[in-house]
This record gives sequence, structure tokens and C-alpha cells, in this order.
Amino acid sequence: MNFSVVQSQFFPLLINGLALGFIYVLISVGYTMVYGVLRLINFANSEIFMLGTFATIIVSRTVFKFDINSQPSHGMKLLIVLLCCLLAAMLTSGVVAVLVELVAYRRLRSRGTNRLGSLISAIGTSIVLSEGVRLLTHSLPESSPRVLSKFYIFTIHGVGLRIDQFLVIISGALFFFAVDRFVKLTRIGKAIRAVSMSEENSRLMGINLNRVISITFLVGGLVTGAAAFLYETVYETTVFNVGFNLGIAAFTAAVLGGIGNLRGAFYGGLTLGLAEEFFSAVLGTQWKEVTVFVVLVLVLLVRPNGLFGEAIQQSRV
Amino acid sequence: MNLTTKRTLGVVAAAALALGSVVATSAQAAPKSVTLVFQNAVTGPNAGLGADELLGAQTALYEYNQSKPAVQIKLVMADDVSDAATASSVAAGIAGNAAVIGVVGSCCSTATKASFPAYKSGHLTIVSPSATNPSLTDPKQPKSNGFPFFHRVVPTDAFQGLALARLAVKGVTAPKVFYVDDQSTYGVGLKDTTAAALVKAGVTISGKDSVPAGTADYSSTASKVISSKANVVVYFGYYAGAAAFKKAIDLAGFKGTYASGDGTLDGGFITQAGKSDAEGTLITAPTVPFELAASAAVLADFTKATGVASPSGHAYVTETYDSINVFIQCIKEGHYTRSSIQNCVQNETFTSIKGSKFSFTRYGDVSGGAPVGAFTIKNGEISYLGNA
Repeated sequence: MNFSVVQSQFFPLLINGLALGFIYVLISVGYTMVYGVLRLINFANSEIFMLGTFATIIVSRTVFKFDINSQPSHGMKLLIVLLCCLLAAMLTSGVVAVLVELVAYRRLRSRGTNRLGSLISAIGTSIVLSEGVRLLTHSLPESSPRVLSKFYIFTIHGVGLRIDQFLVIISGALFFFAVDRFVKLTRIGKAIRAVSMSEENSRLMGINLNRVISITFLVGGLVTGAAAFLYETVYETTVFNVGFNLGIAAFTAAVLGGIGNLRGAFYGGLTLGLAEEFFSAVLGTQWKEVTVFVVLVLVLLVRPNGLFGEAIQQSRV
Repeated sequence: MNLTTKRTLGVVAAAALALGSVVATSAQAAPKSVTLVFQNAVTGPNAGLGADELLGAQTALYEYNQSKPAVQIKLVMADDVSDAATASSVAAGIAGNAAVIGVVGSCCSTATKASFPAYKSGHLTIVSPSATNPSLTDPKQPKSNGFPFFHRVVPTDAFQGLALARLAVKGVTAPKVFYVDDQSTYGVGLKDTTAAALVKAGVTISGKDSVPAGTADYSSTASKVISSKANVVVYFGYYAGAAAFKKAIDLAGFKGTYASGDGTLDGGFITQAGKSDAEGTLITAPTVPFELAASAAVLADFTKATGVASPSGHAYVTETYDSINVFIQCIKEGHYTRSSIQNCVQNETFTSIKGSKFSFTRYGDVSGGAPVGAFTIKNGEISYLGNA
């Protein structure tokens, strides 16, 4: 075990962990919102994320003609490029999420199929999306051009905060806050919460169930798309199965925090991101997965509903 | 007939039968065509390695076809994605196809090792241009080596490890090395030999990590590199991981020497890391650039066969050319079945593109060794420095 790295690199590890954690938070929101209304895991969420990463790269390459050796942008052009990439990722993921709901869930739900049918249908959709992209890209990883110059905003005693990490942390927090407020304060947010509490009673109260579920998938997809854009900003690479490991990690974060609970996704994502970063540094990256899942099992043994599953049950999505 | 006469006739008949079968084996009826398989990473994160090696195969086959041979060679592509699980299922399919008499490949030790069970049970001869992990031919590992069907035309990582250890610290004052492997058969094997050579040379090892291939987030490892105050970082794995890791340590502020093995010798490393991050990387590979090994006539054939202007920057073209020519020589000598090809590859002497003679040891290594080259990335291109 190497504790000296934590002493000398605490701040960089903290920042890296927070950046990764906020990406997990946003992907977890996709899982947790769908679980909140349907009580089902949307296995295709990892592919919704993957398509968002490809949308980011496609826009920067085809619309703005960036390649791997291009110089980063500055000023207004940078802002326009980043906004366009973000919008493309969010729209792609949002639209695909709605389509997934229509294809994999709605028809089965309207025919009264049991939950197992919907789960298999979602897994099938996930495989189709992943394999489709694999065939289109010949399984090749794609590098994202560096649009944003990765300079340090400030440096104190050799440690600093990089602009891309700052962007992820601030944007991640803002996106989460926006979704939280949307669910809490808007009329449709109240409808989503009502459906999550009781589907039957919501229907009796005149809530259009299909519309609410579609909007839930759309919001989850938009946030997952934002995560995809932020992921590309930091890591600058994607591949057809990029969503697999990240999806498992985000799902773990959602379970850790208490799946179905928005704030649980927030705390679970940040906990997981920081745990991965510090465990990797101290024990070696080869122990990352083991330690993270040991922590998850221990937490679930003590709190079966996750860290915040019971504490804020009423504010569940 | 008395008993003695009967016995004599019986012995004569058995001898005639045996002789007939020997004659029939050594002079098999020539088929119109035979099938070889080019098993490699055609897609996937290491597809660049497969694409480079295909150039050598195409050139050798083009030259064979130009000689208007009586027996045509069909070269069938098999994509193992340089992944163990895919390779084992692909190899099972190839071994089950009776038309296939030999396999050239795979690029990578992980996929090659995973293919062994199928090829060993199918008695199918393999010649690899670039699988360098020592365990593939290790007599002490009878269950996991490829004996007697696996052969390779490159020296093992036991030699490359020594060369990589030398190259990584060459010219560095008070070197402190941090190394990372990608947990693959190839990466771990090369790490073991290189680390042993570094320790033996008295070099300080300031830290190490093991990060699975396919990881995008190397930030915690990069923090460890900075914390360790290493001035040399060595990566053991394939180019996709090498590129992601190089970007991460550059962002973390690393300013020292970055070195890697032959898994990184691919243009994909430059594409994925970007020219500026890839610049100056040192790479070892037991290969001789095709443009240095081939004659002008062969270089002209290369362009005609592949449509590629120059082999410069493409790895293991020379060794793939030699690997295909091992089979071509056997086919020219009249070997058309799996068992016959195996006998030929195991026992014959072959001629490399440079004109030197080589054969294979009992466990499949190339006899007499071969040089390990040193390369660097200069102005966004792979540049050969000479022997490492």
C-alpha cells in the first residue's frame, strides 16, 4: 500500500475523483429516474451514453472540422463549439432514450408483460445499439479532437485545477441541480413523482402515464448525454463498448446511494468516483474494482436500500 | 505354402504397404488450391497491428502468384480482435475447417495463446510474425505453450525486455523508472523481463501500476507517476492504452522519457495520442523495417500488391512476409496436408527476406535469434533508430 501518494497528490486525486464522480452522478440520474417511475433498470442507458460520446466527436469533426492534430479553440468560437457538441450529445441521447422507451418498454407494458420481459427487452436493445456501433466503427476506438486547451486555472505549490476538470465539476453540479429542481418544482416533475409513488393512483388522478414515462426517459437521456459530452472533454476517447464499464459503475453508484432516489445518485456517484481514485492510488489500479464492490456489499449489508434510500424516501423521483 | 514362406510373403507385403504409404505421403497429388488463414486483429483497438501485418502477407502472396504456380493459395482473413475470448472461438472454427492447412498469426500473444487449445487439437500449424510472450514456447509450461504446432519468426520478450530496459534509461542521468502493464498476457510478460533487467542493471524502480486494457481514466496512475518523481515511464501493453496513458501523464505534468514495447509500434499510437503527446516516445520491437530488409524489386512488389506507396511506419511487415513464405516454401515442396505441413515447418530450413537461413527450435522459437529494433516518434512519424 502506498499512502505517500495520497499525501503528496491529495489535491489532484481529489479533483480527478470529483470529475469522475460527477460523470457517474449524471449517468446515475439516467438509471435512477427510469427506476423511479418503472421500477426497472434501463440496461440501454450505457448505450445511450455511448451514442452521446460519438455525437460529440462527430459534431466536432464534421461541423467544426477538428482533427486529432488541430489546435484547440479559444474565445467565442470555443464557446460555440462546446455548446454545439453539448447540445448534439444531449439531443442524441435524449431522442435515443425516448425511442428505447417506445420500442423496448411501452408496447410490452401496454400488453401487460411481466417485468422480466421488459428487462430482457432492454438488454436486447442495449446489445443491438452496442453491436450496431461496433459494426459501423469496426470496433475501433475513436479519439476526440482536443477542442478545449487544457490549461490550469490556478496553481498553488505545484498543484492546480485544470479547466476541463473545472468544467465537469461545475457543469455536473449545475445539471444535477437543474434536474433536482425540475423534479421538485415543476408540474411535470410532480407528475413524475406521483407516478413513482403509485402508478395506479396517478392514472386515477388523470395523469397521462405514457407521456410522463416518455418525459422521464427524455430527461434521463438528456442528462446522460451531458455526461457523455463531459466525459469526452476530459478523456477524449470512445469506443462502441465505452458505456459498459461506466454503466456498471454508474449503476453501482445509483445502488450505493439508493436507487430511485435522485440525491442518492448524487452522493453515490461522488462517493464512487472518489473511492475509485483513492483506492487506485493507494492499493494499485488492479484492486480498484475489487475494493469498490467490497465497499458496495458492505454498505448494502448495513443499509439494504443504499446510503440514502430510506432517509429521503419521500423525495424519491 | 509352408509357414516360413507365408511369413516371408507377409513381411514383404507389409513392407510394400509401408513403402507405398511413404511414397504417397512425399508425393501427394497436387490440389488446385490450398487454404491458409491470416488470423489477426482486423478490427478492435489493435486493428492497426493487423492492418500492418496484412501488407506483408499480401506482398508474399502477390510474388507467389506472379510465378504462375500450379497450386493456388487462398488466404482467408480471420478477425480475433486481439482478444482472448474472441480468438478462442475463432480458432475453434478455423481448426474445424478441414480445408485449412496452416495459420499465419496472430499479431498478439494474448490472442495467440487463447487459440492454442483449438489448434493443438486440430493439429494445425501456426507461424506468428509478432507474438513475443516467452510462455508461448516455454517447455516448462506444457499445458499453456503451443508445442508442437506453434512457431514464430521473432525473438521472445526475454530479448525485447533486455533491449527495452537498455533503451528506456539510455542517456538518462540517475534514472528512476515507473512502469505500468495492461494486465494482458503480452503486457505482463514483457513487464516481467524488462523489470528484471532494470533491477539487474541497478536502476531505481520508483513505482508501478497495473491498469487493464480499455481503461480511459489513467488519472490516478498519472498522479502516482508524479508523486514517485520518476524521470522514466515504461508502458507494457498495446498502443491504444499507451496513447491514453501518455496523454494522462503529460496532462499531469510529466516531462521525462516515455518508452514502450512493440505493442505500441503502430501509427494508431500517434493518431490516438496526438502528434505532440506522442513525440519523442521510445519503442522497441523485434522487427526490421521492411524498407531496410527488402530489395528494390520486393519493394516494388509491395506497392503493387498493397497499393501502399511505402512500408515505412508499418510494423512487422518483414516478419509477416517471412511467415507466409514459410508456408509457401512447404507448399512448393509438395506439402498439402496439415500433418505434412507440420513436418515441413518443424524440420526444414527457410530463407528470410534478407537472404539469411532460419529454422525453428523444437518448441517453435526461431533459431539463432533476430535483432530487436529501436524506434522513436519524430515529427509525428515512426522513425527507426537502429538496433536497440
